[in-house]
Order: sequence, then C-alpha cells, then structure tokens
Amino acid sequence: MNCRMLSRTAAPWAYPAAVAACGLLTLLVMPLRHYLDLANIVMLFLLLTFFAALWLGRGPAVVSALLGVALFDFIFVPPHLAFIPSDAQYVVMLGVMLAVALLTAQLTARVREHAIAACRREEQTRRLYQLARDLAGAVTRWDTQRALDDYLRHTGYRGMLYLVDASGETLPAVEEASLASALRETVRRAAPVEGELAGPALFLPLGARDRISGIMVVTVASPASPPPALESETFEAVASLVAIAVERLHAAEEVQVSRDQAASERLRASILSALSHDLRTPLTALVGMTDSLALSGSMQAGPTRDRLSAEALAAIREQARSIGHMVTNLLDMARLQAGKVNLRKEWQLFDDVIGASLRQLRAAYPGRPVRVRLASGLPLVEFDAALIERVLVNLLENAAKYAPADRPIEVDAWQDGDAACLAVSDRGAGFSPQRIDRMFGLFERGNAESPQPGVGLGLAICHAIVEAHGGTIRAENRRDGGARVSLRLPLGAPPAFEDEEAEA
Amino acid sequence: MSAELTVLLVEDEPHIRRVLQSVLASEGYRVFEAETGERGLVEASTRRPDLLVVDLGLPDMDGVEVVRAVRHWSELPILILSARAEEADKIAALDAGADDYLAKPFGVGELLARVRALVRRRTKGGEGTPVVSFGEVQVDLARRAVTRSGELVHLTNIEYRLLAVLVVNAGKVMTHRHLMRDVWGPGHAENSHYLRIYVSRLRQKLEPNPTEPAHLLTESGVGYRFVA
Repeated sequence: MNCRMLSRTAAPWAYPAAVAACGLLTLLVMPLRHYLDLANIVMLFLLLTFFAALWLGRGPAVVSALLGVALFDFIFVPPHLAFIPSDAQYVVMLGVMLAVALLTAQLTARVREHAIAACRREEQTRRLYQLARDLAGAVTRWDTQRALDDYLRHTGYRGMLYLVDASGETLPAVEEASLASALRETVRRAAPVEGELAGPALFLPLGARDRISGIMVVTVASPASPPPALESETFEAVASLVAIAVERLHAAEEVQVSRDQAASERLRASILSALSHDLRTPLTALVGMTDSLALSGSMQAGPTRDRLSAEALAAIREQARSIGHMVTNLLDMARLQAGKVNLRKEWQLFDDVIGASLRQLRAAYPGRPVRVRLASGLPLVEFDAALIERVLVNLLENAAKYAPADRPIEVDAWQDGDAACLAVSDRGAGFSPQRIDRMFGLFERGNAESPQPGVGLGLAICHAIVEAHGGTIRAENRRDGGARVSLRLPLGAPPAFEDEEAEA
Repeated sequence: MSAELTVLLVEDEPHIRRVLQSVLASEGYRVFEAETGERGLVEASTRRPDLLVVDLGLPDMDGVEVVRAVRHWSELPILILSARAEEADKIAALDAGADDYLAKPFGVGELLARVRALVRRRTKGGEGTPVVSFGEVQVDLARRAVTRSGELVHLTNIEYRLLAVLVVNAGKVMTHRHLMRDVWGPGHAENSHYLRIYVSRLRQKLEPNPTEPAHLLTESGVGYRFVA
C-alpha cells in the first residue's frame, strides 16, 4: 500500500463517491429484491460501508452507513418507497443495521489510520536513513547542505545550516539583525529556539552544550505548511544527524591541517639535512686531505719549504674547521628560526654538559686554563643536552678568542630561586658598551673591527636556543674587567629519584 | 703490524672514500671499499673485516639498517660517520649496536684514534683482562673491587654495575638506553636521570677533576663513554 494514496483527511471526491456507491448498489440490488432475503441485502450494504471506511476514510464511511440504512429502509423494507416500516421487526433490523454500519465504519477507519501512521513512520525512517547515508558521504559543508535539502524537498520546509567556526562566529556571516540575534540566542542556550523568539522558523543547535558546531534553521518553504515545530518532521533527529556529519568534517579538517604541517615540517627537515650533508661532505674531504698531506709531509722531514707548506696546511685545516663551525651554526640557526624546534629535553645535571663542552674547547684550545665552580646540590634541570652544549661551546670559544690566553676562563653554575643559572666569564676587553644591548642580534659582533674571524652568529644562536628552552640570556661587563654571559633556565618539577638503599 | 688488519669502508662520497682509504692504508690497514649499503653488506660477509666504517647517509639504504643487518651475524666493531643533522639516526645506529661515531667534518687524527681503539678492543678479544686501570684507579672485575691510589673505594651496587658496564665496553659509546637496560634492567629507559646522577657520583669518587672528566666522558644527547 502506498502511503500517498492513504491520505489522513478524506479527499474532496470521497463523499460523492460514497453517495454514488450507495446509489449504484441500490440500483444493482433492486431487480434482485424478490430473490434475495432482506438480511442478505443488509449484508451487502454493510459490506459497502466496510469498503468505504477502508478506502475513503471515516467521514465517507459514516455517510455511506447513514445513506445505506435510509435507502434500505425506503426501497427494500415493506412498505416500499416509504420510511415507516410496516412491522416493528423491521425497526429492530434497521436499528441493528445502523449500529453495525457505524461501528464498522469506526473500527475500519481506525485500522486504516493506524496503517497510514505506520506507513508514514516507515517512510520517515527510510528518508532519515537516506539522509544519514548522504551525510556519511559528505566531504564538504556544501555536501551537508545538499543532503539536508534533499531530505526536506517534499516536506514543505527549507533548512539552512549556519556553521560556527573556532572563534564562535557563524559561517556564512549573517547580515540580517533578527536572524543573527536568534542564532546567538541558540548558541547561548544551546537548545532549540522556536515560537515568538524565532518567528516562523525553528533554530536547532548542532552538537552538545560544550561544543556547538553550527545551527540548523528551518523555515517554511510553501505557504500551505504550518510554522515548523520541534515535534513535526523529526527535526531534532535530523539536527543530530547533521551535527554528527559537521563534527566529522571538523575533525577531518583538523587532521588535514596537522598533516599539512607535518608535511612541511618534514620537508624543511629534509632540506636542512640535505644541506648539512652537502656542505659537510666537501669539508670532511678537505680536512681529511690536508691531514693526510700533513702526515705524509711530516714523515719526510726536510728543508724550509716543507716547514712553510706545513704551516700552510695547518692554516687550511684551521680555516676548514672554522667553516665547519660556521656551517653548524648556520644550520642550527636556520632550524631554530624556522619556529618549532623539536627539543630533545631530558632531566640532567649541569656537570655533564659542562664537561662535554670543555672537552670540545680543549680540542681547539688545548691547555687553556679554565676554572669551573659548581654550586653544591644543584637540582636536575630539563634541557636539550646537544643544544645547551652548543651554547656553552660558543660562549667558551668566544671567551678563548677574545680574552688573553693566560687568564682563566670561568664557568659558574648555581641556583637562583626558580631558575638554574650558568655563566661564562673571561678577563678580556669586555663588550663594547654601545653594543651590549644588541649583542644577541643576528650578525652582530661585539667589536666590529676585531681581527677575529666570525660573522656574529654565535650569540644569536645561544639566544635562540635559550629562548626555545623558556630561559633568558644576558651579556654584561664585569666590574673588575672582562665579559660575562649568563643564562637562566627555568626549574620545573624534576622526576622522582629513589636512592639505592644504603648497604653495608 | 704482524697480521694485516682489514677495514671495510661503506661510504658513497668518492673524495672522502679516497682520503680515508689513503690514511688507513698508510697506517698499515688493508682497506676494502663499498659505495652502497647493499654492496657493503655483501663485502662484509665475504671479506670478514676487522672493522666496519659506515656513513649514515648512504644513497640506497639507511646506515642504521646496515648496522642492524651486520649485527645479526657479527660482533665486529662498527664506526659510524654522521653529519650533525642525523642526530636521531646516530643514536638509532648506536642503539642498534654500532660502537662509536664521528661527526663530519672530522680530522684524520681523530679518525685514527677511534679506529685504533676499536681494533685494539677487537684483537684483545671479548674476555679482556680482569683488572682495568685508569689514572690512579684500578678496577678488579674478578674481585669486584675498586681502588684509588691503592685505597679501597666504596661503591654502591648500582655504581659498581654502571662502572663495570662502562669499563668492559671501554672506548665504546654507550647510549643512555643501553646503559639503563644493562644496569637497571628493561623497563627503565624513561628514567635516564638516574643514570646522570650515578655517573656524576662515580666521577666524584673516581675522577681526578670531576668537573672536567678524563675517563667517564659525556657524549651530549647520546650517552657515555669510558676511556682508560
């Protein structure tokens, strides 16, 4: 049975049809009235009422019941062509016939209405299912809107989606003041807005109270439809389906964004890595060749010319080393300036990193006096060892470069409130006072006319590294002569440390 | 050198290969070369070298893969050459069983020192001597006794275990993860701050100048290394 054929309210032609059916039945039975018992004719009229209730609805069935009884009485019950029956028996018969006809009409019509309701529900379920399927396939916001349009096409209503972006603004932007205020109200209440507040529309929030991803506005599309109400057309179910789809689209967008970020991160890393490889490979070959030349030269000890070439080789090697240093600094700077640095932070003691950087200093400046003062009981600090070692090596090499060779370089580590501090000091000429504030800028050199090589990357990198750790770095001149650079790293909550049980 | 020692060089860059070849040859090593990881693995299994030098940035396969593949069947010493951007790979390679690394650019002197140390470990054999001395310290691995200038040094259980692992693997870079596993057992890899604290205590007890250690060396971000 098709639901469309079973309209709940009787079609306009149903009443004439009921009347006509009664007339037709009367005409058909008329010639047979001498052969048929009256009781059987009653049955035929009752059957007619039954079908009228089934096909035409409650009203036409009642009409056919009343008309059937009247016609039966007028034409078939003796005396013919008169309403008043000749026998009291017929009165009972007519009464029973009327009662049965009306009851039949009533019961059958109710069954029919149940069938219609069930059919409607089935239809609605089917369309909701269709909507869910369309929404599941939605890839963009427009797909969501289109699926909603498809769903509402034959209902006489129209739906509009206003999606809320991260900042709480609705998309697309709304010009109309009353609409905007109704949308805001919906977001504020996180509950449907209908009735006076909304005018002839229904505002349904998409999503739950703590996260509303949009609003569905339902308006009337055809003038015949009543204003949309929550109960009709299962709008709430539709809204929750759309909410799920929109939520899914949001999530997919977020995944896409983070995937794009990861891709560009990977690209940058691979460019830097390729650059690092391509710059270091020739340097390695250069250093290796000079070294092997020097080795083979030293084996055949000889005249002055060899001493001169040995000096040249040493100079080449030293220059190559400093280029290598610069390449490291440049690549580090590129990595740090690119923004998100992946710090490999671990909880550790300052001793380790100080020892390691001193070892690096020794490789370039053997025998340089250094005095280390570590405050006792220094806590664990969380930092990236390789990067903080870079900072210390840069500071130590600066000190070694700019300060007299016989005065010790000083390294201090101590705790100051909620910060762990490190300082490298020397007894050199100190920083030029005009430049001290700009010391940590890119390509700034403490003393522009200094004969020492370098492009002023070192301190800028120190600054970038310390900042990436959430710390601070400052340069100053010591009161009794010399430069001092100190850095502070924030102390967090170090992880638990359980000491070994004391043993005998 | 009595028995000729062989070195297999896996490096794609011809200039570096030539330099390393000539330097190692002049030191009396017999050098085999491989341009790719694939070739390197084949050579390693046929030549049975005494030392493997592997560049991490090979064109065909990851240097870490080479290390892992070789470790399946051999304990021969492996030295890694890395550019600094390959920090994570370097640790992975050491974790996979490589013995030491050199960051490019490196000097020939550095290279030869590392090569000698690794080959010496190899020729001395796995057993080693039961007594290791460095500076004024003597570690008697058989008697579990540590003395400094002849006086017994008291070490806790963990301190001794840590020292023993480092001393037995002298010259080799031991990653944090490796040390944590050997000393504290599996499942403690996250607690590497224990390691730092115990190394610092060992230095206080054994190093002549604990702030500038000469024997228990830090490899920043990687691990520790003991040198006699």
